[in-house]
Amino acid sequence: MRTIAAFVLVVAFSIGTSAARADSHIDTSVKFINSLSNQAIETLTDASITTEQRRAEFRRLFRDGFAVNGIARFVAGRYWRKASDADRAEYLKLFEDVIVNTWADRFSQYSGQKFEVRGATDATPEKSAEDVALVESLFFTSPTSPVRLEWRVASKGDLFKIVDVKLEGISMATTQRDEFNSVVSKNGRSLEALIEELRRRRDG
Amino acid sequence: MLNSVFDIKVIRFAAAVTVMGALSACATPPPAGDQDARAAYEEANDPFEPANRLMFSANVMVDQLVLQPAAVTYRDLFPDVLKPPVENFITNLFQPLSFLHALLQGDMDRAEQAAARFFTALPTLLLADTFPDRKPVFEDGGQTLAVWGFEEGPYVMLPLLGPSSVRDTFGTIGDFFADPVRLIAGSEVTTGRSVGNAVVTRSKNLEQVRELQRTSLDYYAAVRSLYRQQRAAQIRNGISEPAHSAPTIGLDLDEPDTDGGKKETAATN
Repeated sequence: MRTIAAFVLVVAFSIGTSAARADSHIDTSVKFINSLSNQAIETLTDASITTEQRRAEFRRLFRDGFAVNGIARFVAGRYWRKASDADRAEYLKLFEDVIVNTWADRFSQYSGQKFEVRGATDATPEKSAEDVALVESLFFTSPTSPVRLEWRVASKGDLFKIVDVKLEGISMATTQRDEFNSVVSKNGRSLEALIEELRRRRDG
Repeated sequence: MLNSVFDIKVIRFAAAVTVMGALSACATPPPAGDQDARAAYEEANDPFEPANRLMFSANVMVDQLVLQPAAVTYRDLFPDVLKPPVENFITNLFQPLSFLHALLQGDMDRAEQAAARFFTALPTLLLADTFPDRKPVFEDGGQTLAVWGFEEGPYVMLPLLGPSSVRDTFGTIGDFFADPVRLIAGSEVTTGRSVGNAVVTRSKNLEQVRELQRTSLDYYAAVRSLYRQQRAAQIRNGISEPAHSAPTIGLDLDEPDTDGGKKETAATN
């Protein structure tokens, strides 16, 4: 009888702690998104800074908040595996540059639209080394019809990183990967083709 | 009159099919030996790609010459106070079709919502949004076929109508015949609704489309990906589904000099 009671206690305890742990990564993910969006609004939307300053600040926040390399590897798809180290390094750098140039400037157009986190759910896949939370938020481009934004936040210990953003159900990472795949499969089927295309985009 | 409009539609559709047939020099699948290329080809699920790309260029041209100017005119010159009633009217006119499809999908909740929205708006000549707190219901033939278990099939770029799939093309044809609004009010009304909807929708994504055209490396492939994801989201009625695959943090990539980096170097040497 005592062993059963002890067993029940152990089980209850372990369920309790794992639930508590799961909850804590979800809560922390929400805080993480809130803090990141506050920082972005504070620093990037300042009308007095130059484009260069804005891009530098965006790059810092992007590296801080997003799993830049993990996302880059995912969107490179199957061509990542066969690429040489030099090509990979070059690609990672270009990927970041192109994202920074594309997105940083958009923040200059921000004019006080409301951003609101609505809640979060656990989405940790089976056999995953990382915890994953989906943080739901609304971005009010107009007062009546907000845009639904879903942040996929992966975490490992104290490290929290955004790995994907879904806009009205459309994944940025998937879209980018499909597009990159099409570019690569038409041009030599190697990462080099993508590198060339990205370089042209960055410099052109 | 009713018949003539219908005839034009049928002729246009038949012409389009003929053109598609003539153009459907299918993409040659890569050889079975090249596994990566083969996997990429199957993932894209776009065997008509050469013909689709050609049709896409034609559609982009029509968009630039006709739809975009109309959308800009609507956005900038049409009185703002009249926009909500016009847009409500279009949305409300879609509700009977949505009702029908919600029923066919066995989704009583959404069927009721569509019916309620339509009938409560009737006294206002369909000009009011009678449920401002709720999103209107949009269901169509393609979504119903998906709920019934039909596969999406290859990607298809329809003339003027834009991105579609084999399944959604069947859905679109079915909707043309089954739409209660057409059966009651005639196809002038549904054609007008489609044109109005195209202009209104386009007027709301002018900036986004311009950005996408400017920043994408392959605009056609980007649109194909967006279309599929959007349809998948509509079929699930916006309820998010667990990701098949998603990026991970990629800690091994952050510092190339740690173990991960060394292992990679060793493997390639």
